[in-house]
Amino acid sequence: MGLIQKSRVKSPWILHFDNSSCNGCDIEILACLTPLYDVERFGMVNMGNPKHADILLITGPVNRRTARVLKNLYEQVPDPKVVVCVGTCASTGGVFHNCYNVLGGVDKVIPVDVYVPGCSVRPEAIIDGVVMALQKLAKL
Amino acid sequence: MADQMMAIAILLPVAAGFLVLAVRNYYARNLIVVVTAVVLIANSILMSLNGPFTYSPDGFNWGIVITALDYAILIFYLYMGIKLRNWLVLVFALTQIIPLAYFEFVMKAHIEVTPAFVVDHLALVMTMVISIVGSLICIFALRYMYDHEHHLHIEKSRQSRFLFWLVLFLGAMNGLVFANNLVWLYFFWEVTTLCSFQLISHDRTQEAIHNAARAVWMNSTGGTAFILAIIYLYATKGGSAMSMQSIIGGGLQGAVAVLPIALLCYTGFTKAAQMPFQSWLLGAMVAPTPVSALLHSSTMVKAGVYLVLRLAPVYAGTTLSVVIAIAGAFTFFATSALAVSQSTGKRVLAYSTIANLGLIIACAGINTPLSIAAAILLIIFHAISKGLLFLCAGTIEHQIWSRDIEDMEGLAAKAPLTTLITAVGILSMFLPPFGMLLGKWIALEAAYAVPLAAVLFVLASTLTIVFWTKWLGRLLQVLPRIEMPFEKLSPSYAVPLWTLVAGIFIVGMGVGPIYQNFLLAATNDVVSGNQIIAVGLNNLILITPSFLQRDILGLFPVWPLYLILIVALIMPLLLIGLKPKELRPVYMCGEQTGGTDTDEWLAEADRKTKFQLGGYYYQETLGEKKVNPWANAIAILLLVIMLGCGVIVI
Amino acid sequence: MMIKQFLLVLIVLVGAPIVGGLLFGIDRRITARMQGRYGPPIIQPFYDFFKLLGKEYIAVSRMQFVWIYGYLVFMIAGLIFLLMKSDFLLLVFILGFASVCLVLGGFSTKSPYAHFGANRELMQILAYEPVLLLLAIAIYAQNGSFLISEIYKQDKPLLFSLWPLFLAVLYVLTIKMRKSPFDISTSHHGHQEVVKGVVTEYSGPYFALFHLAEWYEIILLLGIISLFWTNPMWVGILIALAAFLLELFIDNITARMTVGWMVRLSWSVGLILGIINIAYIYYTKGV
Repeated sequence: MGLIQKSRVKSPWILHFDNSSCNGCDIEILACLTPLYDVERFGMVNMGNPKHADILLITGPVNRRTARVLKNLYEQVPDPKVVVCVGTCASTGGVFHNCYNVLGGVDKVIPVDVYVPGCSVRPEAIIDGVVMALQKLAKL
Repeated sequence: MADQMMAIAILLPVAAGFLVLAVRNYYARNLIVVVTAVVLIANSILMSLNGPFTYSPDGFNWGIVITALDYAILIFYLYMGIKLRNWLVLVFALTQIIPLAYFEFVMKAHIEVTPAFVVDHLALVMTMVISIVGSLICIFALRYMYDHEHHLHIEKSRQSRFLFWLVLFLGAMNGLVFANNLVWLYFFWEVTTLCSFQLISHDRTQEAIHNAARAVWMNSTGGTAFILAIIYLYATKGGSAMSMQSIIGGGLQGAVAVLPIALLCYTGFTKAAQMPFQSWLLGAMVAPTPVSALLHSSTMVKAGVYLVLRLAPVYAGTTLSVVIAIAGAFTFFATSALAVSQSTGKRVLAYSTIANLGLIIACAGINTPLSIAAAILLIIFHAISKGLLFLCAGTIEHQIWSRDIEDMEGLAAKAPLTTLITAVGILSMFLPPFGMLLGKWIALEAAYAVPLAAVLFVLASTLTIVFWTKWLGRLLQVLPRIEMPFEKLSPSYAVPLWTLVAGIFIVGMGVGPIYQNFLLAATNDVVSGNQIIAVGLNNLILITPSFLQRDILGLFPVWPLYLILIVALIMPLLLIGLKPKELRPVYMCGEQTGGTDTDEWLAEADRKTKFQLGGYYYQETLGEKKVNPWANAIAILLLVIMLGCGVIVI
Repeated sequence: MMIKQFLLVLIVLVGAPIVGGLLFGIDRRITARMQGRYGPPIIQPFYDFFKLLGKEYIAVSRMQFVWIYGYLVFMIAGLIFLLMKSDFLLLVFILGFASVCLVLGGFSTKSPYAHFGANRELMQILAYEPVLLLLAIAIYAQNGSFLISEIYKQDKPLLFSLWPLFLAVLYVLTIKMRKSPFDISTSHHGHQEVVKGVVTEYSGPYFALFHLAEWYEIILLLGIISLFWTNPMWVGILIALAAFLLELFIDNITARMTVGWMVRLSWSVGLILGIINIAYIYYTKGV
């Protein structure tokens, strides 16, 4: 792997966005950042800024309002980027998929690279999902 | 030869002024002013190349004319005081007329001062600044006043009157810096005050007339002190003490008492609008911008610091010198703090002017060869940079029709060329490698002789960084877009602006040889000793006086710094481009509407809202209401101590 | 002699970002250990840097690029000034220009977060600049010259006579390293209170330049601290590294404070320390 390729794998910066989830998956993502799971040792830092991010971690089902926001944020993230849907709601709409305001999963709005099912997702699964995304990122 | 040069420097602007007053045609007037400007500039350069000389006008008894005009001006102030019901103007006109009459008729002063005019190197420096920067501002005023009257829908044009006073003023300033006869110096001093009054009140609004009256009475207290100093000197030393050169030559060691010098320094303080007199300069900002540029930043207020600087050898080594240093440094600090809280562009410039004048006065007070060199460098560079900034403020005002910094937000999109020139002006005021910073650097390196002044310089320098960067930042804030081409500026605006920009760079880069060949002599006119060695074209090395016997005090590599500036800012500015597809909107948490250049976002219930940015002005800590009470109190205390130094001979 | 100096400058210019990056990596590792976790590898900053270089070019204005170049070049120029043992006061002014370039980069677009990040950065400059200028004057008072080369010629280290200012310079180091309690305008970790503040709108390769400039800056700052003990030089460098570790410790035991508190603290404690120091030297040594 080239230097830049390897660096992309070693330094994934995260943008965490919550569509309209119950916050269960969000808590699990934040748990990953705590000393118990410590994803910072892989170089992951939770940047709040799309312009600094490589990986988008999206939780929650997409509704009409957050669809607009999600598209906006996605466009502000510079290439190369990968999108990871965390949780069943983000993947398919989950429990809420029939609601009148819910459009469905994140892939209704932006292209998704990795789906991590679960309700709510275990931190180990999130880490697995991000590692899978990194492998995709390395090939971009 | 000397006759012609003096006549051109002093009398030509007067004649040109009267001619402009008589001519009604716009283009003929402009031609007269431009020709006068060119002749003045050429004359000042010729004078400098010629070298120092002395001159006394023979034949005609100019003394009678000057005395008569003195009374005429003072009676005019009396009349104005009565007409405007401004008792302060009235009182301080009386306090000048009565002592003047006493001097003339009771003391029967016979003044034979030869030579009447002494043009030494310092005077040559001042006249070059006055003629070059002043003439450029007069050229700027031509189109500016046309647009000004057009915008205000003024029926009967008063541009002739405006240009008359503006051009006349140049002659008065030249006379001021050449004068050796104290009484003649007083006359030119009063003419500049008169020009200031007429020009500030030009728009004839209530506020303008009120502020002009304030300028008159505050400067009149200075005039009163001037006359009292003259009377004291004549009473103790006789007619020979009326010559500036003999005062300087005699010094304080038994020759001249401290009191008249302290009074003359007080006069300088009022003219330079030092604290607590800063309110007249702030008030003068209501005038049209060429007035602010010419009188109240580059030239007239420099007369105040010129007087203090001229007298520096006389009070060297006394407590008076230390008090002057501290008073100047305190003004520098307090007005820099006040400038942070101002949201009107011209008030920021006014406070910055007063601050820099305080710095120059403090350098004169520190009174070492190094600090005097700093003072002269600061005079030159401040005139160029501040003149440029005021002209930029005027240009911006005539593009957006507002003087408020908040209205100037995003000027880089509406008027990129003006923003570029303003950015050069602002950056040249406080950053290396430009001349103002060079002067400030030398001042800081010399300031340890009066440590309190050094500490105040440090605090004030930091505050200047804050308000300049804040202002420039507001100008630059634009929404994402690919840049627009430069706008067109009328030649009357463009020529002075670009000349001053060129001046900043040329004089800045060439400061080594300019110092070695020209300014060193000017510094030696005031105080001699080792100060600065310019090595080649690209280094300024400061040589220490005997403190700790070190060889080199400080080092300022001029050309390497300009090279760094070019690599850091100018090359990226020219070489880096931005493609449209690379443009992204600013981060608004994803809520924005529209494309990349939007500033609207969807608030509650999807209501479209514009986001608004405001500058930070820190009114609660640095506003005028908070700072003025204690700052004015300390300044008045320092003035009392300064004059007290004269009463109690220390 | 000139060739030797030129080679030294070249070596330091190439090596400084490497050492600086490693220092930042060590910073993150030790911070992590203090917090009971493992932390990233020491060369993590380099991974971040190369990843950023590989990102797409996006921007919100062209002037952003100009100002970040200005920040980088002036920082490198400052380091060169330090190496050439030139004028210390001028060095402080050049650092000032670099900081102003960063602030203007933040101001160069109409962005809410960059706007108040830039204003906060300006307040940071207001807090630390007087201390550095007072340090320059104190060095002059002590040595009779502003030149850094004169510091190297002294027998007694500056730390003995300028220890109050050394304490004040530790404040400056905390502010410049963007460590709590003064990580006010932007910070290194994922602090999202200001959404990255002054560098919010930077991304990709130009953000990498910002990191590069920070690596030069840390070497420059530690170099300034090492001036407090120049004879022998390794003691000064040890003191600088000790100060660096102290900053990490302070970072982990404090929380971010307000801007007003930072300026007030700096202007009271920092200024008083500086003024006492200069006054003492003035009255014992004379002018």
